[in-house]
Amino acid sequence: MDPAEYMKALAELWGQGSRSFMAAQQTMLHDMAARFGKAGAGVPAAAPTNFFDPQAVTQANETFSRLWSSALELSQTFARNLQHGKEPDPLVSGLLGRIFDPSAWFAGTDGMDAALNRLAQGPRLADLWNTERQMLNVFNAWTALRRRSLEHNTVMLEAWLKAAGSFAKMLNERADRSEALGSWRELLALWVETANHVLLETQRSEAYLKSQRELLKASTDLRLAQQEVGEFYSQMFGYPTRAELDDVHKALTELRREVRALERAGRERATGKPRRSGVAKPAPSEEGPS
Amino acid sequence: MSERGAPVEIKPEQAVAEAAALGEKLARGAELFAKLRDDEVAIATTPKDEVWRQDKVTLHHYRPLAPVAVSPPVLIVYGLIGRYTMADLQEDRSLVRNLLKLGIDLYVVDWGNPTRADRWLTLDDYIDGYLDGCVREVARRHKVAKISLLGICEGGVFTTCYAALHPDAVKNMVLTITPIDFHGDTTENRLGHGFINLWTRSLAPEDIDRLIEAHGALPGEFMGSVFSMMTPMRTLMKYNLDMLEVMDDEKKFLNFLRMEKWIADRPHHPGEAAKQWLKDLYQDNKLVNNKFAINGRTVKLSDITMPVLNVFAKDDHIIPPATSQALGAKVGTKDYTELPLPGGHVGVFVGGKSQALLGSGIAKWLGERQ
Repeated sequence: MDPAEYMKALAELWGQGSRSFMAAQQTMLHDMAARFGKAGAGVPAAAPTNFFDPQAVTQANETFSRLWSSALELSQTFARNLQHGKEPDPLVSGLLGRIFDPSAWFAGTDGMDAALNRLAQGPRLADLWNTERQMLNVFNAWTALRRRSLEHNTVMLEAWLKAAGSFAKMLNERADRSEALGSWRELLALWVETANHVLLETQRSEAYLKSQRELLKASTDLRLAQQEVGEFYSQMFGYPTRAELDDVHKALTELRREVRALERAGRERATGKPRRSGVAKPAPSEEGPS
Repeated sequence: MSERGAPVEIKPEQAVAEAAALGEKLARGAELFAKLRDDEVAIATTPKDEVWRQDKVTLHHYRPLAPVAVSPPVLIVYGLIGRYTMADLQEDRSLVRNLLKLGIDLYVVDWGNPTRADRWLTLDDYIDGYLDGCVREVARRHKVAKISLLGICEGGVFTTCYAALHPDAVKNMVLTITPIDFHGDTTENRLGHGFINLWTRSLAPEDIDRLIEAHGALPGEFMGSVFSMMTPMRTLMKYNLDMLEVMDDEKKFLNFLRMEKWIADRPHHPGEAAKQWLKDLYQDNKLVNNKFAINGRTVKLSDITMPVLNVFAKDDHIIPPATSQALGAKVGTKDYTELPLPGGHVGVFVGGKSQALLGSGIAKWLGERQ
């Protein structure tokens, strides 16, 4: 299959899958909200209704899909026009398709996103439905992460379109000057140089920094929501919780600190030469941000 | 000359030649790859002995490669982001070997592999606790009151703080690629330079608190991805273009793999220490403004009264030169020297151009200040 066709099909499938998924999840959430409403005691009544923002996710998804279509079209145009005046060679088309594949920008520069997702998505606890509130929090956080990820990818896709536009402009200018590129290596070098410049500029933009920050916050929220579920089950089954282990480690760190301070004091007494030094301070407070 | 409308004109014979060259390269690369063994990509192979240990921190003494010609001994202090092995990547690209061959008696501190259990360790613990322990041990072994320190990157900040708080224990201080003014990236504002500074400032302090609360550390892979973002197209092309370029040349391919090995070995940064690193230093820029405190004592850069050699890389995109050079106007010694070297953040240690300059520059400077 032509790489461009493949990408197009993939994008369509992806878009359709996302829409179906969103619809299914919304139904499930409304159902859960109704159940919570009936359950009443012990569960904050307002919690299920304002914790999920399907419109924002859908909007982020649509923006991304629109840009994705434009990028695909441009990618195909490149592959066609770069073989101007010749019968398109399928092998060359395939190569060009890969070089100018916008999805590569997510695979290659999406390290942060991937790292955050890996870090956030710990053990899957989807079968534990008797702790609905915590699980809903986890789902909410997961949805928010997906939305932020889409928003960030949209910024990256805009950058790809900008880079592709600059690249096309440069090729046209070369053609005007009758300075055609004579090898694939030259072609690739020009693309890498152009794209790198645009990416570096993008990284300094307010939009990029904001989407990065939101992505980081969303992944952190998901991780914390998952830990809340973990704490619940650890308590239920009598295992040490994360918070308890953190307490133990904190105490150990403080004890080691005190030992070092005592050793230092002993040395100073023995030599009669106190070294300028402060007092060992306790470990920072465990209380997290609100 | 080509006619208008044909931006790319690759002649069939040119395309065939390129394809053939690529095929040959791949074949040679595959053959080379098949015969490589893991020990051939070993890094940090210069022989050394563990001489002291506390918790996860170990102090190592390198075995001499030449008679000791410079006194007192030198302790290499790397940071918690990445590992000291960068200073001893391979035999012909090793600051450690170069210094040993020039008669420097050399030690290195290894911070180990912090986990979530080390969440509560602060920079105070590392600087006033573990580093102080290492300095004392080296001094005790050599029966000297002072030793010389060689700090690298974040380790250079540790060294700077230690030297300011304990000037009586430091004979000479050498800093390499060390940030002092964490907002100094705005001085030149070069595209692609100082992204970590900019990115960290774009976060709210509570974002950092929550990140540490969630993970208990600044995860190594997280910092790795931030570094990757700084060279976006290089990251994108690394395994399909860069590797392809070198895979039929055994020496270059091994260099590539060793560097990959170092990059992959990225320990987690203990949580509370990471908060100080990102909030107090990157965000609030306390060090250069004499507001950073260790164990309740303010680090005053003017208390650095011993000779200082400040080495920086002229094309360092992670620690832009201005962030390092800010130290010059702040120290309390007149014996302050800068050594600008060609290359980038890592290139200054492993690049061909700086290999001859870095080790010899440091050894000469130390030799003149025994």
